[in-house]
Amino acid sequence: MRIKIEKRLTVPKYSSILVPVLSVALALFLMGIILLVFFYGRLGNLSLAFRETFEAYKEMLTWPFANKYGIFSTLMRMVPLAFVGLGLSFAYRMKIWNIGGEGQLYMGALAATWGALYLFKDVTSPVLMIILISILGAAAGGIWALIPALMKAFAKTDEIVVTLMLNYVAIFWVDYLVYGPWKDPKGYGFPGTAPFPDQARLATLFKGEFHVGFFIAVALAIVLYYVYKRTRWGMNSKIVGDNAQAARYSGISIIKYTIIALVVSGAIAGLGGAVQMMGIQHRLQHGFSPGYGYTAIIVAWLAKLNPIAILLVAFLFGGLLVGNDQLQMFYKLPMALISVFQGLVLFSLLGGEAIAKYRLRVSREEAVTNE
Amino acid sequence: MAELPVLEMRNITKAFPGVIANENISLDLKKGEVHALLGENGAGKTTLMNILFGIYKADEGEIFMEGKQISVSSPHNALKYGIGMVQQHFTVVPSFTVAENVVLGLKEMGFFVKTKTVESSIKKLGESYDIPVNPRARVWTLSVGEKQRIEILKLLYTGAKVIILDEPTAVLTPQETEVLFKAIRKLVSEGSSVIFISHKLDEVLEISDRVTVLRGGKVIGTEVRSSIDRRSLVRMMVGRDVLLDFDKPKTEPGRTVLQVENLTVKNDKNLEAVRSLSLSIKSGEILGIAGVAGNGQRELAEAIYGLRKPVQGKVVLNDKTLRHTDVAQRIKGGVAFIPQDRRALATCPSLSITENMFMKNAHTNNIPQSPFNVNIRAMQKATEELISSYSISTASTKTPARFLSGGNLQKLVLARELSTKPCLIIAEHPTRGLDIGAMEFVYRTLLAHKERGAAVLLLAGELYEIFRLSDRVAVIYEGEIMGYTPPDPKFTEEIGFMMAGSKQGEIA
Amino acid sequence: MRKIFLFISVLLIAAALMAAPLKVAFIYVAPVGDGGWSTMHNEGRLHLERVFGDQVVTDFIESVPEGAEAEAVFRGYAQRGYDLIFGTSFGYMDSMVKVSQAFPDSTFMHCSGYMTTDNLGTYFGRMYEPRFLSGLIAGAMTKTNIIGYVAAYPIPEVIRGINAFAMGVQYVNPEAKVHVVWSNTWFDPAREKEAAESLLDVGADLITQHQDSPAPQQAAEDRGALSIGYNSDMSAFAPNAFLAAPVWNWGPFYEYVVRNVIEGTWTNEQYWGGIKDGVVDIFVSDLVPDGVAKLVMSMREAIVQGLLHPFDGPVYDQTGALRYAEGEKPTDAELLSMDWFVDNVVGKIQ
Repeated sequence: MRIKIEKRLTVPKYSSILVPVLSVALALFLMGIILLVFFYGRLGNLSLAFRETFEAYKEMLTWPFANKYGIFSTLMRMVPLAFVGLGLSFAYRMKIWNIGGEGQLYMGALAATWGALYLFKDVTSPVLMIILISILGAAAGGIWALIPALMKAFAKTDEIVVTLMLNYVAIFWVDYLVYGPWKDPKGYGFPGTAPFPDQARLATLFKGEFHVGFFIAVALAIVLYYVYKRTRWGMNSKIVGDNAQAARYSGISIIKYTIIALVVSGAIAGLGGAVQMMGIQHRLQHGFSPGYGYTAIIVAWLAKLNPIAILLVAFLFGGLLVGNDQLQMFYKLPMALISVFQGLVLFSLLGGEAIAKYRLRVSREEAVTNE
Repeated sequence: MAELPVLEMRNITKAFPGVIANENISLDLKKGEVHALLGENGAGKTTLMNILFGIYKADEGEIFMEGKQISVSSPHNALKYGIGMVQQHFTVVPSFTVAENVVLGLKEMGFFVKTKTVESSIKKLGESYDIPVNPRARVWTLSVGEKQRIEILKLLYTGAKVIILDEPTAVLTPQETEVLFKAIRKLVSEGSSVIFISHKLDEVLEISDRVTVLRGGKVIGTEVRSSIDRRSLVRMMVGRDVLLDFDKPKTEPGRTVLQVENLTVKNDKNLEAVRSLSLSIKSGEILGIAGVAGNGQRELAEAIYGLRKPVQGKVVLNDKTLRHTDVAQRIKGGVAFIPQDRRALATCPSLSITENMFMKNAHTNNIPQSPFNVNIRAMQKATEELISSYSISTASTKTPARFLSGGNLQKLVLARELSTKPCLIIAEHPTRGLDIGAMEFVYRTLLAHKERGAAVLLLAGELYEIFRLSDRVAVIYEGEIMGYTPPDPKFTEEIGFMMAGSKQGEIA
Repeated sequence: MRKIFLFISVLLIAAALMAAPLKVAFIYVAPVGDGGWSTMHNEGRLHLERVFGDQVVTDFIESVPEGAEAEAVFRGYAQRGYDLIFGTSFGYMDSMVKVSQAFPDSTFMHCSGYMTTDNLGTYFGRMYEPRFLSGLIAGAMTKTNIIGYVAAYPIPEVIRGINAFAMGVQYVNPEAKVHVVWSNTWFDPAREKEAAESLLDVGADLITQHQDSPAPQQAAEDRGALSIGYNSDMSAFAPNAFLAAPVWNWGPFYEYVVRNVIEGTWTNEQYWGGIKDGVVDIFVSDLVPDGVAKLVMSMREAIVQGLLHPFDGPVYDQTGALRYAEGEKPTDAELLSMDWFVDNVVGKIQ
C-alpha cells in the first residue's frame, strides 16, 4: 500500500468553503495550545488554565459576532476593509497588482478633509455635502492610482513597486498637512485638522456605534458583482486577466483597460477613505489607518475577488480584530500574542489553499523494490 | 513460440473530471518494433503515454516490463525502467551545450562533468544510431529537428529500451523527418523498441511495424502493417470514410477584399521579417502562401491583423486603409484570424467555452447586447449550437478551455472566428497538430466560407494543404514573395526552388 | 442632630465599602513594559490596587494606536460597564469625547488633552518644571556645548519641554545650543536610537529625549556620551551615561481621582499639577557632581515655592524677537499652545 500526493486537475467546489473553515479551525486549535501554555504560566494550574482558555475563546468568538455592541464594532471595522478589498478586486481580476490600497485610502481621506473643511465649507446641505465629499475622495484615490497606471501602461514599470511606494508618499502628505498647513487653528497647535462640520458627517445609529457607510459598502459590492458578472467590462477584464495576449487578439486595448482598472480600483479605496472620515474619524490625524490597505489585500484574496465574498471576509476579519481587542482588554493578553494569532490564521488559510490543490491517493498495489 | 513482449499495458483506465480518457486499454510492444499509436485528437494517445511515463497514475490497470509488473510513479522512475519519452515540447536548456544537456540530471555524473569523455561518447553514440550531432554546439543555435535528436540521444544515453515519440514529426521539415526515420530504423535494428504517436497516415504506414488505433479512449484495433492500407486506417480512426480527394468548389473571384502594399514588418528580434511585401486577395478566393517556416509568415499575418506595427506600408480592407495596430477596427471590419498558436494567442485557458466563444463579441456584436447588460443566456445557447455544429467534444459550455484537446480547441477558434461570417479570414497553419477528421473539417469549413464569398489568406507549411485549398499559390522567402503558381502538384518543383530563395523569373 | 449626621456618615461610608468594586481601565499607547511613559502610568495603576485593594478592579490594554482604532477600545470598556476609564495619550482625544457622550454613566480622564465633556476630564503634569531643572544639569555638564534632543512630534507638549530644557541650559551656560531631531514616533526604539546617533554624529556629547523608550539613552551610552532621560529612572538602561530624568509619578493623582469618583465628588476639571503636587519631579543620579545637584535642588525648591518660573523673562525666540520681557511669564493658555522655539534651540518646528 502506498500513499501518494497528487496535484488535482480541478479544485473541487466544496473546497472553497471547507478550506477556510478548516484552516480557521486549525488556527484556533494551535492558538489554543499557545494560550493554554500562556495561562498555565500565569495561573500555575492546568485546570484553571483550561477554563481560562475556554473563556477567552468564548469571548473572542461571541463578542464580535453574537453581541449587540460587538457586532456593531465588527461592522465598523469591516467597512474600510470592505471598501479597499472591493477596490483591489477590480484591479486584481486583471492581474494588476495594486498594493497601494493604503495610500489610496489616505488620499481619499485627505481629499475628503479638503472638501469638508475648505473647498465645500459653504455647503450647508448634508446630502449635497456628503455626495461632493464622496466624489472628491474617490477622485483623489483614482488620481493617486493613475500615477502607477500611466507608468505601467506607457513605461512598463512594475505597478507593485510603484503603488507600494506611493503609500508612503500619501502617508507623508497627510502628515505634512496635519502638522503644517491644515493644523486646526483652535487645536492649541496640536497636530490634526479641525473636526468635520456636522453636515459632513454620515448619519449614525445606535449611540454612534454604527454609520451608514456600511450600506454604501454593501451597495458597492452588489454593483461590482453585477459589473463582474453581467457587463462587457466584467467579461473583457476576465480575458485580460487570464491571457493578455488573447485580449489584444480580441481587440481589447490593454493600455486602456490597465489605466481604467487601476484608477477605478484606487477610486473605490479613496471613497473608502472619505467614508471613514465622514463616518468615524471626523478629523484627519497622523496614523489615519492602521494598515487597512494591507489587510484588505488578504481579504480580497481569500474572497477569491468575489465582491459578495469580500463583504463576508471583511466582516470576519473585522470580527477577528474586535475579538482580539477583547482578549487584550479583558484577558490581558500581550499584543505580541495577538499578532501571533493573526499570523496563525493567515498561515493556515494560505496553507489550506495550497493544500487544497493536492489530494492524497492511497493505492493498493505494492511498491516495486528496485526503486 | 511468441517472444515475451518488452512492454505490456493491460486494461488501463484513466478518468479525468467529466471525461474517460482511457478505457480498458491494452497494448504490447515487442523487442525491436515500431508500434504506432494512431488516433484523432482527444482519442487518448497522450494520456496513455503519460501514464506509461509516470506523469499520470492510472485509475486501473497494470504495466509489465519484460513480464514483470512495474509501478511507474514518476518520469525519473520510468527512466530507471528504461522507458523514455520525447514530448512535443522539448525539455532542453537552450544555453547549455548538447553534451551538457545530455548529462543534465544524471546522478552518476557527479558534481564535475568530465566534459571530454562525455562529448566523445555522445559523438560515438550519435554515429552508431545515425544521429549526427555536434556535442559542443549550444542548444539554442540548433534547429527544431536537431533539438529533437538531442532528446532522443538523452534517452539512449540513459539506456532507454522503450522510446516514446509523441508526434515527433509535427515540428519537422520533410528532410528532417527523413533523418528522424532513419534514426528510428537504426534504433529498432539495435534492439530498442519505439512507440510512435502520430496522426499522419503516410508516416505511420512508412515507419511502423504494427499500428494500434485509438478512438474515444478505446482501442479500435491493433493491426500488422502488411494487413492494412490508408483507407482502412482512416476508417478505423474516424469511424467513417473521409474523402481524401475531392474537387474544390469553383467560385468566381469578386472585388478585392484585402490589399497589402509595400508592407515592411520587424520581428521580435528587431530584424526585418517582411520586406515591402504587396499582395491582394479577392472575395471568394483563397491565396495560399507557401514557404519554409520562419520566413515572415507569422509577422505578415500579425501585421495584417493589427497585432504588430509595420515599419512601413499600407493594409487596405474593402477600400479602406486600416490603422496600424488597431485590432478592434479589423474585427469590426470583418477580419477573422486563426493563429498558429491558439493556446497562447487565441484562447483564454481558464475561461469557459462560452466566454472563449464570445471573446470578440464586444466588437463583432454577433449577439447584440448593451455593454451594461451582457446576455449570458443567449451566449450560452449560441455556444451550445456552435458546439454541436462544429462537433466540439466537451462536457459542457462551462468547461474551461484548457481542458479541450488541440483539435477541439481549434474547432472552438474556428467556430468563433467563422460564425460571424467574416469577409477576410487569415488562417495560419490551421490544421497543425490536428488529426485527419479535424483536418477535413477545417478544409471543408474554409472552402465553404470561400464559396460564401470570403477572402482567405492561408499560411501553411504543407504543400498538400496549399494545393488542396488555394486558388492561387504565392511563395514567401525571407519576407518577400518570390512568385505565384497555380495550385497544382506539377508545380511542386518550381515552388521548391522559390522556397529556397530563387525568384520565379530566375528558374531556368 | 449631630448624632444623626454621624449616623448618616457611617452609613454612607459603610455603603461605599460594601458596594461593588469600582472598575477602572487604563488605555496605553505603547507596551506596558516600554520603560517610560506607559510604564509610569502602569505604576500609577498598581498604586491604585495597593491603596484601594478590593475596592477597585483595574484592567489595562497596551499598544492602542491613536485615532479611530482607539474608539473601539474605549467603547469596549464603556460597554462592559467600567466606571472610570483613563486614556493616556493625546491622540485619544476625539475618541474619548465621542465615547464619553455615548456613555454618560462612565467617567473618563484624558491625559494631555484639552477637550472636556460632562463626564470627561483632563489631566497632565507641568513637566516643563523638571525639564528646566534637567536643562541646568545639561548646561553644566556639556563640554562641546552641543546638546542633542530627540523629540517625538512638534506638538505644544513637546515644544514646551524643549524650550524649558533650553531655558535651563541657558541659565547656566549661555554658549550651549540644544539641537532638536524629530523621531515622529512615541515608541519605536530603533528609530529613537537612530535619531540619537545622528545627533551624536554632529558632535553632541549629551542626549536627552521626549519619547517613551530608553533607546536614546542606550545610544549615548554606546558612544560614551552623557544622557538625560525622561519618564522614569533609566539608569538601568545606561548605567554610565544616565545623569538625570524628569519623571512622572501618577500614583497620588490617580488615587485622588478614584477617591473623588467613589465619593461622588468628581468634576470634569482640567488638572495640571507641578512638582509641588507630586505628579512630576526630577530624578538626579550619582553621576551628577554635588555642586550641580545642589543647584538643581535649590532651584527645585524655588519652583515649589512659586519664586521661580522656568519661562521668567526675558525670553527670546529663534528669530531674536522678545517673547516675554523681564518680569513677564507665559500664561497657562500660552504654555498649552506653544509653537515656537527659544533662541538657543537649533532645529525647526515642521
